Amino acid sequence: MSPYSATPVLRASGLHVSFGDGAARRAVLRDVSLDLFPGQLALLMGPSGSGKSTLLAVLSGLLAPDAGRVLVDDDGTAVDVWGLSDGGREKFRLRHTGFIFQGYNLFPALNAVQQLEIILKWGHRLGNGEARERADDMLNRLGLAAQKYKKPAQLSGGEKQRVAIGRALVKDPTFIYADEPTSALDWENGQKVIDLLRAAAHARQSSIFVVSHDERMRPYADVIYHLDDGILTVERNTVSLVPAGPSEVSR
Amino acid sequence: MSYALQTLWHEKARYAAGVGAVAFSAVLIVLQVGLLLGLFTLTSIPVDHTTADIWVGAQDVKSVDLGQGIATNLHLARLSEKPGLVGQPEVFLANFANMIRPDGGMERCFVLGSSLDPAAAGALDVLTADHRAALTMPNGVVVDESDLKRMNLKGVGDTAKINGVEVTVVGTVRGLRSLAAPWVLCSITTARKVLANFVHDDQTSYLLARAESPQRAAQIVKELRAEYPDMSVYTAADFSFNCRWYWLTRTKAGIAIGYAALLGLLVGAVITAQTLFSATMSSAKEFATLLALGVPRTRIYGMVMAQSWWVGVFGVAVSLPVVWGLAELAALGGAPVLLRWEVVAGAAAVTVSTALISGLFALRSVRRIEPMNLLR
Repeated sequence: MSPYSATPVLRASGLHVSFGDGAARRAVLRDVSLDLFPGQLALLMGPSGSGKSTLLAVLSGLLAPDAGRVLVDDDGTAVDVWGLSDGGREKFRLRHTGFIFQGYNLFPALNAVQQLEIILKWGHRLGNGEARERADDMLNRLGLAAQKYKKPAQLSGGEKQRVAIGRALVKDPTFIYADEPTSALDWENGQKVIDLLRAAAHARQSSIFVVSHDERMRPYADVIYHLDDGILTVERNTVSLVPAGPSEVSR
Repeated sequence: MSYALQTLWHEKARYAAGVGAVAFSAVLIVLQVGLLLGLFTLTSIPVDHTTADIWVGAQDVKSVDLGQGIATNLHLARLSEKPGLVGQPEVFLANFANMIRPDGGMERCFVLGSSLDPAAAGALDVLTADHRAALTMPNGVVVDESDLKRMNLKGVGDTAKINGVEVTVVGTVRGLRSLAAPWVLCSITTARKVLANFVHDDQTSYLLARAESPQRAAQIVKELRAEYPDMSVYTAADFSFNCRWYWLTRTKAGIAIGYAALLGLLVGAVITAQTLFSATMSSAKEFATLLALGVPRTRIYGMVMAQSWWVGVFGVAVSLPVVWGLAELAALGGAPVLLRWEVVAGAAAVTVSTALISGLFALRSVRRIEPMNLLR
């Protein structure tokens, strides 16, 4: 039984990206194609400089490919992310996409609730009351009830990353892109982070795409891709398997 | 509290430079204009230290020191026909004169001859009863303490020659600081002798009058101006302002101050822009995350502009006590600073606007922020 739906929410095909000019030109992605499914945690591994972050950027609408398409489901219609205007892409990201970066990138002056609120107020134009309620609720679910009014300087690394996850999840996105989310954490905290992401994927039917070279993440992934020298291969796909691992335990 | 204000407060040290720069600009503008206005109050001293409501002088008289002899009776008749005056109009003699100091040197002075009646409209408020009694002495004069040295006079009892007439210092006062020429106060009788060649016996420099109310004074001035274009008529407040304005524009001092203020603003603007720029760049990753999550860039522009607004407001707030303190200090040093609320409000508006313009420049830093840079 599959933990996620069989209909992809993202279908990337024929992606090519090169950097540099003339003789220094270097292909970073060569004819990369992949599908992302709701409720799926996809893990992208590969050596440093293999183009992992570039692929994440192309899929998430941050970096235009030289060639190829990224078809996504935008509330029932399939659109090419790279066929949209800059403004249209910004709106798409706002509605559907959450990001978790290696650094926590939290505003030093704002407390945990405000880090989440600012997205809902500035992005989604929610009123103060509703934004506060949703931010509160999200932090409660992430086990940060006691940390709500703390500023980043008063939080541990793991707590900061959980706030950053809360910021990505608070808008209930279709896609969550995470770039090395555990690299700055010890394994105990890293495991918590992965659990949270996996739970979000399975419970909210979000599609989670994680770039990492952290080998300990392997058991938590539904599908593992490998990128080397710009060529993408599927290393393991547990689509047909009953998902195993800590996320089931933690439910 | 807004996110912008919260950030400003959290990173006080970072924004202090900008706040300081705005405060510096504001202090510079207010103090310079205040000093200038304070300095030019010296030009209207005869008007400000008497209690007349209405001043009548020669045609087109721009400042109290530029008066010329006018026919006393003719002007008295014109003034007296107006109802609403209190008491009789008075003559007031005011003219430049040449003084030969005790050491033989020459000095310009300005003679002010007025009624010695303490209730008179032209009685200078710095004169005490003793002064007035002493001034009844023929050729007695009173001068300001600050001018004694300039006139090479030792004090009461010393003599000098003004327009060839020997005068005796019978008293000194304080607070009548002079600019172009020392003020010399005397009775009308003494003034007539000293100024005989400038203001004839049937003439006066000015006619002074009091009215029932300031409104009535303004009304009389308006009527007389319309009826007699060959004479100048002012309310005391108008004449006082005219004296200052005349010398302010005549000396082009305003332009000098304008340049200095502009320079101050420029320095303030550059530092403020730099502060906001570096503050924004230090939050580049956080802003990039917001952009990645789809928050419109305009919201981030808005935050930077809000920060520049608050930097401006805090700068002005910091400047106020500094301005006040420095003005007190300058006054102690003998340079009166006139702090008019219009000047303070104007300087506040100009400096906050400058901070906002600096904010606009700092927006360049926001334009550079790209979420892609968060992925390596």
